[in-house]
Amino acid sequence: MHNLGFALDGAWQVLIAGLALGAGLPILFALGIRSLAWGAGAATVTTPTSAPAGRRPLGTALGYALFAVVIIGVLLGLTFIVSSGFGYKLDFSHIYPTLVAK
Amino acid sequence: MILALVVITALAFDFTNGFHDTANAMATSIATKALRPKTAVALSGALNLVGAFLSVEVALTVTNAVVKIQDKSGAPKAELLADGGSTLLLIILAGLVGGIVWNLLTWLLGLPSSSSHALFGGLVGATLAGLGIAGVNWNGDGSKLDGVVGKVLLPAVISPVIAGAVAALGTWVIFKITTGVAARFTEQGFRWGQIGSASLVSLAHGTNDAQKTMGVITLALIASGHWSDLENIPLWVKVSAAFAIAAGTYLGGWRIIRTLGKGITDINPPQGTAAQSGAAAVILASSHLGFALSTTHVATGSVIGSGLGRPGAKVRWAVAGRMALAWLITLPSAALIGALMFWVGDAVGGTAGALVVFTLLCIASVAMYLRSRTGKVDHENVNDDWDGDSPSTTGTPATTSSVPAVAAN
Repeated sequence: MHNLGFALDGAWQVLIAGLALGAGLPILFALGIRSLAWGAGAATVTTPTSAPAGRRPLGTALGYALFAVVIIGVLLGLTFIVSSGFGYKLDFSHIYPTLVAK
Repeated sequence: MILALVVITALAFDFTNGFHDTANAMATSIATKALRPKTAVALSGALNLVGAFLSVEVALTVTNAVVKIQDKSGAPKAELLADGGSTLLLIILAGLVGGIVWNLLTWLLGLPSSSSHALFGGLVGATLAGLGIAGVNWNGDGSKLDGVVGKVLLPAVISPVIAGAVAALGTWVIFKITTGVAARFTEQGFRWGQIGSASLVSLAHGTNDAQKTMGVITLALIASGHWSDLENIPLWVKVSAAFAIAAGTYLGGWRIIRTLGKGITDINPPQGTAAQSGAAAVILASSHLGFALSTTHVATGSVIGSGLGRPGAKVRWAVAGRMALAWLITLPSAALIGALMFWVGDAVGGTAGALVVFTLLCIASVAMYLRSRTGKVDHENVNDDWDGDSPSTTGTPATTSSVPAVAAN
């Protein structure tokens, strides 16, 4: 039954990482879309009665900032795939990611 | 001669692996029309090709997960080389045939089953037939997650649940956030979200799955004395395996794409984004942590999860249940075919035996291809409504009746 222990041990780590990246990033992406829409005056829930409000540069900027975070996340994922293939691994022990030889 | 058959069969397996798994990456993007079907398979094929070259890690020990025909360094066991490696080659050949036949059969039925499990099943069956029960690595040696239980059974149960949970949460929150946002923002935005996340899945698939074939071919080369370097894979093996999986992906397993994209639940762009991101994250995290899993199980789990997470969406549990059943029987069925093939090949013996096995494979493949011509699913009708009188790919009496015919092969 040792395998069950190892599997559950691996499973919760995968779950945490999956939730952070697999649900977290698309949620940020959705927030980005909403900010962008709000910035252009088109998020209708906030102003249900009025016609599209004027432009809100803050929303547009925030939207693009969120997209940037998502893209960085994706790039990290790509770096991870590529680097492990070439004998490096992504190391997060300095908070910011660095490449170290395996 | 036997070696040539093994190499061809391994590349054929790689090809079926490709078209069987196109759906994992692209079914949702095709279903939501984020990408046109042909564009989607071309993108996925190209990324699989790139992925296959990106990963230079030697996957020579791939068979060690389930059978004991290699030692830890990847060299074939010495006692198996006594007869010039021909038993070992026959085991590999029979195992590959088991994997291919099962892949084709599940494709015919439009069921997304795991190609890795089919390969492992075939190898387990052929090893059981060739070396007996002790030749199979059932449970590992207790030091890590290993063996049939640890590398195949447990991940198959756990990974779809994880992926489903991630996708369900992602979908639910995304729908909360974007309620009421004008469609012109959500449509465009999530279209790109889907394309991006689906591309990641394709790339990860190329790096993972092409490796398995490269490992198997190299093992066969070593067993027959044509290669001795345990640290590297011959370049031509890498190139041919990469192109085989990319070509398979480009061909597209439309039947499976249809089941995954339209059959389980009706997907819209935000759901597709959540499902593919969840799948990509779970696949990458698992391979980082050495938690073996099947891309197929993850992708299916996340599609079901995205159906559960969206308010008002319904999951067709009958379809999901049929898939779960296919997962359960993938390993034993491929094992049965693998074992039968080994017995046949062994009874005939030598090169002739390998030829007979190869011929049986060809007959079975052609039979299933011809069967697929009736009720054809391709890029034209892949998105037709599921509940309608469109060509149904699953579970009709006519399609299931082809099972015994194939088993008889």
